[in-house]
Formats: sequence, C-alpha cells, structure tokens
Amino acid sequence: MSESLESIEGETPELRVGHLYPDQLNMYGDRGNIITLRQRCAWRGVTLRHTAIDLGEPLRPEDFDLLFIGGGQDKEQDEVARDLRTVKGAALREAVESDMPVLGVCGGYQLLAKFYRPAEGPELEGIGILDAWTIHKGKAVARCIGNLALQWGEQTLVGFENHGGRTYLGTGAQPLGRVLYGHGNNSEDHQEGCVYRNTYGTYMHGSLLPKNPHLADHLISLALRRRYGPAADAWMRPLDDAREWQAHDAMLRRLGVAPRHAAAVG
Amino acid sequence: MSSEHTPPSSSAISAPSSSRKTRPHARTSLAIVLGRASGGLARRLGISGGTSLPGLVAQYTDPQLIRRLAAQAQHGCVVVTGTNGKTTTSGLVAYTLRAAGLRIWRNREGSNLARGIATTLLRRAGPTGRLEDNGDGAFVLEVDEAAFARIATDLRPRVTLVTNLFRDQLDRYGEVDTVAERWRESLRHLPATTTLALNADDPAVAALGDGFAGPVLYYGVEQTPTHADSDSVAQVVDTRTCPRCRTPLDFAPRFYSHIGHWSCPGCGYHRPTPQVRAAQVLSAGITNSRFLLETPSGSAEVTVGLPGLYNVYNALAAAAAGVAMSAPLDAIVAGLTRFTPAFGRAEEIVADGRKVRIMLAKNPTGLNEVLRALASDRATGKKRLLMLLNDRAADGEDVSWIWDADFEQLAGATSYLAASGTRAYDLALRLKYIGDEPAMVEPEIGAALSKALEQTPVGETLYIIPTYTAMLAVRNELERRGYAPRYWEGEDV
Repeated sequence: MSESLESIEGETPELRVGHLYPDQLNMYGDRGNIITLRQRCAWRGVTLRHTAIDLGEPLRPEDFDLLFIGGGQDKEQDEVARDLRTVKGAALREAVESDMPVLGVCGGYQLLAKFYRPAEGPELEGIGILDAWTIHKGKAVARCIGNLALQWGEQTLVGFENHGGRTYLGTGAQPLGRVLYGHGNNSEDHQEGCVYRNTYGTYMHGSLLPKNPHLADHLISLALRRRYGPAADAWMRPLDDAREWQAHDAMLRRLGVAPRHAAAVG
Repeated sequence: MSSEHTPPSSSAISAPSSSRKTRPHARTSLAIVLGRASGGLARRLGISGGTSLPGLVAQYTDPQLIRRLAAQAQHGCVVVTGTNGKTTTSGLVAYTLRAAGLRIWRNREGSNLARGIATTLLRRAGPTGRLEDNGDGAFVLEVDEAAFARIATDLRPRVTLVTNLFRDQLDRYGEVDTVAERWRESLRHLPATTTLALNADDPAVAALGDGFAGPVLYYGVEQTPTHADSDSVAQVVDTRTCPRCRTPLDFAPRFYSHIGHWSCPGCGYHRPTPQVRAAQVLSAGITNSRFLLETPSGSAEVTVGLPGLYNVYNALAAAAAGVAMSAPLDAIVAGLTRFTPAFGRAEEIVADGRKVRIMLAKNPTGLNEVLRALASDRATGKKRLLMLLNDRAADGEDVSWIWDADFEQLAGATSYLAASGTRAYDLALRLKYIGDEPAMVEPEIGAALSKALEQTPVGETLYIIPTYTAMLAVRNELERRGYAPRYWEGEDV
C-alpha cells in the first residue's frame, strides 16, 4: 500500500481540510468521513491536515483546500447559523465560488441552503449558497430515518438518513442524485442532496465516505487539482477498494437495488 | 422467572419507618389474574413475549398496577437507570443487598421497559393484589433511560441510581441533552424520601442533583494508576459543556469520554465531592478490577470480577446504593466480591474446552471502554477477537457510530480478528481503516462462531464483542450447543 510516490517538482502533496464547528456539529459518523479522507490520501502519499474551525473563529479560504460541515441538533444549529451569517459567511461564499470542494452533511447541508423553517419558533436563516430550503412539518409527520441508496451519475451511493425537515430545491438547483431507496430530500420528488459548483449537500451519513470511495476520491481529486493543477491527477492512483465495494454492494442488495458501478472504479 | 430467594435471615437493614402497606384493590387483583393467565397462555402456545405480555395485559387492566405493587415492598425499590452499565450495576446492587440479608426481586429477564417492570411486579403478587411474602423484600429494577420518565413516579423509588449518560442510538433516544432534560423533569416528581445516587464524574448526571428535593449521594473515582487516556484526543466526548452555563468544561483528569474531574471555567460549577469513592484504583484488568473503596462508614479494598475502569464505576454505583439503603460496609464488600457477571456482560462461558468471554458494547463510549480493557491487558498477550455488529431496531439501525469509536487502540492487539453480524462488511471496512484486515468476515453469527472457535486452541480465550441483538444471537447459539444455561432476555426490545 505504501510505495513512495513521485511528487510534483519534489513537493510533498498535502490537503488542508477545514472542519467547521466540530464541537457543535458532530453527528454520529462525521468522524468516519474525515478518517476516510485522511486514509485515502495517506495511501497515495498525500498528507491530510485537519483543522477545526470553531464558533467565532474567522475562516481564511486561502488556508484550506476542502471544507467539511457535519450534522447536529437544533439547539446547536442556532448558534452555528448565527456564526455562519456574521463571522464566516463571506469567506465561505468566496471559497465556494472559487470552486473549493465543500461537503455538508445533514445539518451542515441545511445550513448551506436558504432557510430552515422549524415546526415551531422562528425561521433559521441559512447562508443561501445552495438554492434550497427546509421545512419541518411538525411532530405528526414522521422523520425520514433509514438506509438510503441513490443513483449518482452512472453510479450508486449508499448511506443512512435521519432528518425531520423536508428539503426542496429551487428550479435551477441540481440534486446530488435520484433516490433508489429511502426518502432523500423530502420523500416526494425522488431527489436527494444538492450540488452547486464543487459544493455538495446531502442527508447521507452512515458514514457517507467510507462506503462510497468513489465520492471520497472525487472530493480529494477536486481539491488536489484546484491546488496543484491537472498534474495532480498523477497522485490519484487507484486503490484496492474490494472491502469498500463489498460493504457498498451488500447494502444495495439488501435494499433490492442492483449494483451499477464498474468492478474497478478509479 | 428468577429464583433469587435467600432464606429469610436476620436482615441487617431496617425497613423505612413509613408504612408501605396499601389496601388491596379489585382492579389490581383482576390485572394480576389476567396478566398471569396471558403469560401462561403465551407459554403454552409457544409464542414469545413471556416477559412483556403479562405486563401489557395487566397494565391495560389496571393502569395503577405498578404504583400499587411497588409500594408494598417492605424495603422499597432501587431503580437503576443510565446509558451503560444498568444490567451489571443492578446485579451488583442485588448481590450487595442480599449480602445484607434482604430478599431481592429483579427484572433480570432483561425487560426494562414499563411492561417488563409490570410483569416483574405481578409475578411476585398473589391474586389478592398483595405481594407474596414481602417480609424482607426489596425490588432492584433496571429501567430503560427513556422509559424512566414514565414510570419513576409510579415506582416511588427509595433509591434512584443514575450510572452515566452517553450517546446511544440517536435515532431512538435523541441527543444526550434531551435525555437529561427528561430525567430532570421526572426527578422533580419524585418524593423527598427518594435518595438520588449519582455519578459525580459525569457532569450531566451529577447536575441532576441540582435542586433535588431529597438527599443526594455522589460516587466517583479519585485516582487511577497512570490513567492516561485523557491523551486520546480522538475520543468521543458526549458532554462537552457546563450543564449550568454551557461554557466548555475543563477536565483534570479525564478518565474516559466525559468522565473525570470536571469544572467549569465560566461559572465555577464543578464535580461534587463524592461520599462513596474509589480513593485509588489499584488495577483494572481484563478479568478483574481492584480498588480502595471509601464510604461514610469506613474503607476496604475491593476486588470485582469485571474488567475495566467502567466497571469500577458500576461497583461504586452499587456501593452507593448499598449506603443509601443503610447496608453495612462488610455486606457491600461481600456483595461486590461475590458478584458473577450478568448475561453477556463480561460473562465467561466454557465451550468445548475454550473460554468464551462476551462483552456487550452498544455505543461508541461502551465500545471504547471494552476495547481499552482488551487492548491494555498485556499480561495475557494478543487476543482472539470476534466482533459482531447487528443493525436491528434494538441495536440502532444506524451503524455510523462505529466510525466514532476508537478502534485504533485495537491495532496490533489481536492475534485473530473476525467480523460478523448483519453489518459484518461495515465492521470489516472500519477495521481496514485501522490497518487490520480481519481473518474472517462472515455475516451469519452461528457460522462465524463455529469458525472462530476452531481458530481458538483448547484452553485459550475467544473474546466476543457484540451489539445487543448480536449478543442475544451468540448466546442463543452457545445455549443451543449446550455450553451456556438458558435465560430469557430481550424479548421486549
């Protein structure tokens, strides 16, 4: 696994991951996404530097190559939404518009969108990077909980969702994928997640990246190219992902969805 | 039904002065008769539900059933709740109180929801609505942390013991703050005759003593040998902020997760001084733990046959319950020492000349502590380990939590590693990311058990770490093969 890799012009490649609000937004499995990014970088000779960006701290886009925002509970989301609007909003928008890959999961996804309307209480204003909004229809409407499978381009994604709010996309907005099994954004239109430039919002955890190595590699590849240019593709050596696809396919089979990835996805 | 009858002996404990007698009630009698009949019928028809159906039927007949029966036990009720360690702790409490001469009734069939408690109570009652033979009786009841709010006031416990509060099955219980708030609300309705026994080292649990009407008894750990683990930055910490002002807490030291000597730099709130404590933990190995117990009535060195620091906390919790029930120190020490592990909680079973040790782990913190006990025990060399991950309703259908658990400490600690259960492939993938490829990945638990036993030489130990329903499944396999005695557990979940 650990053969030494040629680096571009003698440089040791690195990726700097900024993890927004890890103390407030730390839903089950968020750590799995970071572990996966780190390992898949390490296996390719790329060093991943992981930095927490807490409440009140400024976000400096030039310090990062990839941003991650996890999920949380309503109580925490209040504080985070305020901090996003007042402290980090402009910088985050700048990062997104300059094609930095950003992954927002669950609560993080909702905060990247326009607003969250809770069952009771005031509306929570999001940052509006994604043309989407979320409405919680009250306790009488069941939460969206369970395994989730998507069509993502020619491939599939698997994960677990657990959200009370229903998310709707604006007319021009691009969903991440089409729901093959589960609820997705709202349990109505078979859409799940939202993509804008290199920003990905999704309800999938489970954790998301370990069992979806093609998505993990897509994010890593975007970040490396953005920083080092097209030559960075040389670092994206295919890995032996037999275990990853075994877990991925076992879930697809259980959900009655046929696997759609090529055997050796790079 | 458990047969935990000690011959009536001279009890060292005197009953509380308040009369606990109530008048028999016709509806209660009917509820008991119908509940028992439904249990008998279910058994005869061979349908499962023996631990929940009688309670369901009886509660439907008499919604006051729990209140009326619980009130009759001469020495009252000890209620044990919390995220981890409920079953082990209530077992330890039962041993302790039995050593003090009480007759103990437990819901050890494992059903810890309201209907299971009702079943336990009505099985000890006669058709007149009176508890049978309640001379020296006390109930020790393990109660699910979510069910606690609904039945605590009916039970009117003499002692309410809270072990700890960790994230567990977010899809079922919700966040720790939600659980703590629900507990706080139900504690408000308890009478001032209830003693609260609380873990001083868990900030969310200790804070439950704030403003409680009755007496509060804290237990905690003062010192451990090189407890080093505060260095593990990767650890899951489920309560980070002050229960009063939400400022991030300081820990010095932090023993594991958010368990330790905590204080708030914001408002000054801090860990209360425990009256029952381990002044020094002398060892916390894989087979037993030794510590110096201090109580208001004296000190003693105690050895419990349970692994890890988390079980020292369970033993301290039981000692605190004993103190709250006025049990003498020698009875407390005898009870803790005599204790044998409960079903699947560090229980040891001999299978075909091999030892099998089952250590239940159902959430990130529980798993971290079990893994730590296993990995830190260097005395017996590398371990053979079979891990079982199920995702049925009682396990939590979301297995994301395995990515929060600190599997990394396992790297290099095993000589044989295997993964099984409905989510065996997820588990295998988690292990890949610590750099350990499992020797076997086999979703079917029976087949995995057979293969793992084959890989274990006679005289050696196979460790099994299962989630809840996987624990029931593996234990069932061991029973079927004649290695373990039969028990009822878990029908209610």
